[in-house]
Amino acid sequence: MIRFLAGRVARAAVTLLLVLLLVFAGARISGNPFDFLYDEGLTAEQREALSAEFGLDRPLPAQFAAYVGAIAQGHFGVSIAQRRPVLDLYAEALPATLALATAAFTLTLAVGLPLGVLAAIGRGRLLGGLAMAIAFIGYAVPHFLLAVLLVLVFGLGLGWLPSVGGDSIAHYVLPTVTLAAGLVAAVVRFLRGEMLEVLAQDYIRTARATGLPPHRVLLGHALRNAMLPVLTIVGLQLSGLINGSLIVETVFALPGIGQTFVGAVQLRDYPVLQFGVLAYALVVIAVNLLVDLLYAIADPRIRRGGGARIAEA
Amino acid sequence: MSLSRRDLIAAAAAGTLAQHYPLPAMAQTRELRVGVQSHTRTLDFQAETGNNTAQFLDSLCDTLVEIDTRSPAPRYIPGLATAWRQISPTVTEYTLREGVRMHDGTLMDADDVVFSLRRVFNPTDPRYLGAHGRYFYNFERIEKQDAMTVRVVTRRPDPLVAALLSCRNAGIASKEQADALGLDRAAQAPAGSGPYRVTAFRPNADLTVERFAEHWGDPAPLERIRFTRISEMAPRVTALLNGDVDFIVSLPPDQQPLVRARRGLRLVETTWPMFFLYVLNMNRPEIADPRIRRAMNLAVDRGALVSALWGGKAVAPGGHYFRGFADHDFLNDVNLLPYDPAEARRLLRAAGYAGTEIVLSFQSTYYTYGDQAAQAVVEMWKDAGIRARLQVIEGFGQDSSSYFTRDWSNPCYYPDMLGAFDTHWSSASWVTRDKWFAPEKFPAFAPLYEQVRFGTDPDARRAAYRRLVVMTETEMVPWVLLYQPSEAYAMRGNIAWEIPQNVRPYQLPFRAGLVSVA
Repeated sequence: MIRFLAGRVARAAVTLLLVLLLVFAGARISGNPFDFLYDEGLTAEQREALSAEFGLDRPLPAQFAAYVGAIAQGHFGVSIAQRRPVLDLYAEALPATLALATAAFTLTLAVGLPLGVLAAIGRGRLLGGLAMAIAFIGYAVPHFLLAVLLVLVFGLGLGWLPSVGGDSIAHYVLPTVTLAAGLVAAVVRFLRGEMLEVLAQDYIRTARATGLPPHRVLLGHALRNAMLPVLTIVGLQLSGLINGSLIVETVFALPGIGQTFVGAVQLRDYPVLQFGVLAYALVVIAVNLLVDLLYAIADPRIRRGGGARIAEA
Repeated sequence: MSLSRRDLIAAAAAGTLAQHYPLPAMAQTRELRVGVQSHTRTLDFQAETGNNTAQFLDSLCDTLVEIDTRSPAPRYIPGLATAWRQISPTVTEYTLREGVRMHDGTLMDADDVVFSLRRVFNPTDPRYLGAHGRYFYNFERIEKQDAMTVRVVTRRPDPLVAALLSCRNAGIASKEQADALGLDRAAQAPAGSGPYRVTAFRPNADLTVERFAEHWGDPAPLERIRFTRISEMAPRVTALLNGDVDFIVSLPPDQQPLVRARRGLRLVETTWPMFFLYVLNMNRPEIADPRIRRAMNLAVDRGALVSALWGGKAVAPGGHYFRGFADHDFLNDVNLLPYDPAEARRLLRAAGYAGTEIVLSFQSTYYTYGDQAAQAVVEMWKDAGIRARLQVIEGFGQDSSSYFTRDWSNPCYYPDMLGAFDTHWSSASWVTRDKWFAPEKFPAFAPLYEQVRFGTDPDARRAAYRRLVVMTETEMVPWVLLYQPSEAYAMRGNIAWEIPQNVRPYQLPFRAGLVSVA
């Protein structure tokens, strides 16, 4: 188990460094922040002074080395557009995104799991079809459209919920539903598929034959085994939450990290942009690591050094 | 701003629904929630020259001299200075108002004024771009005489001193605050002396200001104003219809029926003194011949742009002046921009135009209807025989000399005939720095500009400006002026707000007497 864990962590570290290098180079290839910040251009003197202030006058390898060195010490730099520490910018924006992501994730599990089981056991019947229809719509309708539709119906039409801003809990309802819709759909579809596969297995027949009540067969035996690939999906979707929040935050004018990041991309605010990608990569890597660990816990073959199941997944 | 078909469909649907439901109640009577399209990175009075920041600065800071917003003709009245007198042709002495409290609790004195205006007159730190390069270039220095007296010294006698000192970029901020916090932190919540003070600011997202009880002038009419960025048009309109905000900016003409149809809402429309234009690179060999540039102007059907894009609400210009705007009226009969494709073709032939490709570079979704206008203009050019192509750009790099054209706006910063010209086309502007504007090729320009910029006799200045308008349009042709866009503000019907005379475009004036909530 320890060797398994160490290997995963080492791989994560290499991935992170590669991501760092890619975003560092990519940001610089795509443009210079001063061209976007000062759309009427700069004098040579101004450009030099600004470049020196943000360390952009040094050769790229030196800039990269300095950046990695600073990160190692916990310094993530200063925003070029606002001259404020990058961490401050994200710290201000984090609560809104965290609230949104947590709510959406909770909603996903609370609705997705029961609906997925329902879709499997109700296959070929109205109930299952209904669950799949909901999942299909949730999967097919893009965030921006769903957001506008929800605002039209619940904001404008019925007047039940506010449509922009992040001042109260009510403000989070529509963004949460928007963000969770696609994830619920994914969970339902995958869980249904896995459940159907598992329900056809011999051990389920055996369990039934021993006279266990149906709900124990379903939840204790089928669901537990069907959960493995669903865990992967949920893990991957967790990072999808962050992707989705970029759009959802813009539409609902929620002041979260999505807005901070999109603004930084538009202005090529390197330090802010780099930190955004780095943090995102870190979340994805951490989630994957966590999923691997959960796998190991859920499937004893993996902890014992097999690992074949992961390759299949 | 961006405007997609999706926005339109959504907003149209919103309108249908909206008519059937009553308007929710306003949150608090004395509080105004404003949905703005663009926000600002900092609130640095002296450094932020953009239209986005101009929305807020009027509420936060005062200037030595204020413009009388109730007077149709430009008139300057005491602000933070109670009196001023001319010491010599280049020196004016200002007596400062006693007992003016700044937002950081300190009292305004000569040190604050010297600190603030020095940043505009004599910037020493090239890392902070200021308003200096744009239009304060004739100010030589500011001197402290005593604790409550300062002297402003210009390089040459200047008829525009009062006009320039009344601009928000010459706003006075607390030196004590900047010393204590540093410029960068101070710029997040600057201590001015205006009727409102900053209580919360999230750059590019959200700004809350509150009535400053110790403001020296008439008290602010509102307790609190919150400016939130809602950059997308459809959510912004919805937020107003839904009662999430009380006031929104930038409602394009095709969305206005929606607000009109709704009881309890009202619209305030204006045509700001501002041009949307294409700058022509006079040094680019393919269009170096002024006849080609003139042809590019005559080939544009401005009337069609105004009616098709703006529903007739924008204004087609006749030259670089604003019809009906203070101090420009004497030019109202000047119309140098007719739609004349036949003459355009003749000029192209005379110039020996051989069909070289001309590229119209523009920033997509930056200006309202900017994309549509660019597409239309390229087709109009093609109709007149100009081989033209569109190019979307994200920002101009270090070397802009390779471009033929770019889109730009020329807002009028102060109510003088030069309020848009000198702030955008002077020797301090990028167009001169990057050698797009080449007045040196026209020997008559410099002496004429001299008369307009520094002449002391108002009538002589006017006569000279009339000649300048004709000369720029018919001989120099540094631009293609398209139109003065229309701007609409939508708000709850119980908000009494009008745009006063003589304010800079996009300013949102919420001072005493300018807004009230029933």
